[in-house]
Amino acid sequence: MIKMEKVTKVFKGDVVALRDVTIDIGKGEFVFLVGPSGSGKSTFIRLLNREDVPEHGRIFVAGRDIGGLSGWRVPYLRRNIGYVFQDFKLLQKKTVAENVAFALEVIGKGPQVINRQVPAILELVGLSRKMDRFPRELSGGEQQRVSIARAFVNRPLILLADEPTGNLDPTTSVGIMRLLERINEIGTTVVMATHDSSVVDSMRQRVVELDRGMVVRDQARGVYE
Amino acid sequence: MFSFRYVLRETGQNLWRNILLAVATVVTVGVSLAMFGGFMLFQVAVESATARWQDGVEFIVWMNTDAGTDEDSSVRNQLGESPGVDRWEYVDRAQSYEEFKEFFEDTPEVLEIFTAEGVPPYYRVVPTDPDPDVVEELGSQFKGKPGVRTVTFAGDVIRDVQNLSNRAGRVLFIGSIVLLGASTLLILNTLAVAIGNRRPEIEIMRLVGATKWFIRVPFMLEGLVQGLLGAIVAMISNSLLRNYVIDQFSDADGLQLLAGFKVDDAAMLQVNLLVVAIAVGVAVIGSNLAVAMHLNE
Repeated sequence: MIKMEKVTKVFKGDVVALRDVTIDIGKGEFVFLVGPSGSGKSTFIRLLNREDVPEHGRIFVAGRDIGGLSGWRVPYLRRNIGYVFQDFKLLQKKTVAENVAFALEVIGKGPQVINRQVPAILELVGLSRKMDRFPRELSGGEQQRVSIARAFVNRPLILLADEPTGNLDPTTSVGIMRLLERINEIGTTVVMATHDSSVVDSMRQRVVELDRGMVVRDQARGVYE
Repeated sequence: MFSFRYVLRETGQNLWRNILLAVATVVTVGVSLAMFGGFMLFQVAVESATARWQDGVEFIVWMNTDAGTDEDSSVRNQLGESPGVDRWEYVDRAQSYEEFKEFFEDTPEVLEIFTAEGVPPYYRVVPTDPDPDVVEELGSQFKGKPGVRTVTFAGDVIRDVQNLSNRAGRVLFIGSIVLLGASTLLILNTLAVAIGNRRPEIEIMRLVGATKWFIRVPFMLEGLVQGLLGAIVAMISNSLLRNYVIDQFSDADGLQLLAGFKVDDAAMLQVNLLVVAIAVGVAVIGSNLAVAMHLNE
């Protein structure tokens, strides 16, 4: 599903964010990206979503080399990739349902699709009864559920999550991880960057450790350290 | 695929969120286009009033309605041979009657009296030297010739009207161009504020796969709406100017010169279409600059 071949990303001032990274992530895998701050986890995720392009190497998503993708095709790539943020990035003036519907509306889906898919995804994340609430009326965990619902409502092939439990307490984090696990079980490939050792240790999924831009460990059913 | 409902809703919301700035933009676009429209309407009215005296025509040799071919040829030969005549144009009876009808279209009682046979043909003459004394001397050579009814001169009043109109027109034109530039910048600024207000939404849109145009179109439409509302303001102003200022001139009793000072419906339509076209141009330029400078999808 995701393949990186000798990928190097260098930022201004010769800061090497990723160095010669080669990795293969299969369909339906759940992969944790771990490592200290500045190790390249966020860059890894941004490259997969084509927010950045590498200086060297090639990246394949669903069999397509996304490095050579022309600008107008990038949105179509992103429709196959859901994105979950640490700070949720919910639109405060929209209700829960409107936040989720927004993701469908802006890719041109009609009212029929929206009216069918939004309640279904809110049911999946356990927020059916709060669909008319505004984000400020929700707890942190609930806001992250909305963020996940928005990322998954279009049924993407891949879900990228950048520190999704970073702003949550441990109990709430468990709930979010259960939700991501369910989404993974449906067949979605999940790539999650995290600092949260308890989450990684409890899930026992594949762990890729980055350090100074290099893959220093790639372990099936691994732990944080 | 575009959802028109979404685009219209977002455009409306953008306008409503920055309503004061949007109103300021519409008013500025409206005033600048009204100035431009006013300039155009006055030009049209002055041209209408001085139609026979355009392009350097300094005097007109009016022929008798029953002038014969020999008399006509004599005048023609003299015009052709005179070194003081730069060029001339013959307006035959049919053309002259058309001009006459246009000139007195608001005075049907006059039109009833005259037929095409009663309206004389004439020669419009452009001298090589526009000096009034030279023109007077040149024109006088045709007075009293067989077949010539009279010779009329542009005279100071008409030249003064044309000069004043040209000067006032230039001021209005330059003023409107400056204001149109300001309008473009205001549209750009309004859209920059709208884009800034919607930064979080735009980021989400990009990441969930909205296309560049889907993100851009509501902002560009917002600029277009502001431009078109400004055009409506200008068209109302044009209409008031025509009905309550220009038409008042042409209705003034005893001012023969101002009898033709008017704007007909066709000219009004042309000016209004031009105003709309400029409004669209200003909006498109302002909007494109705004999205190019502030929307880096």
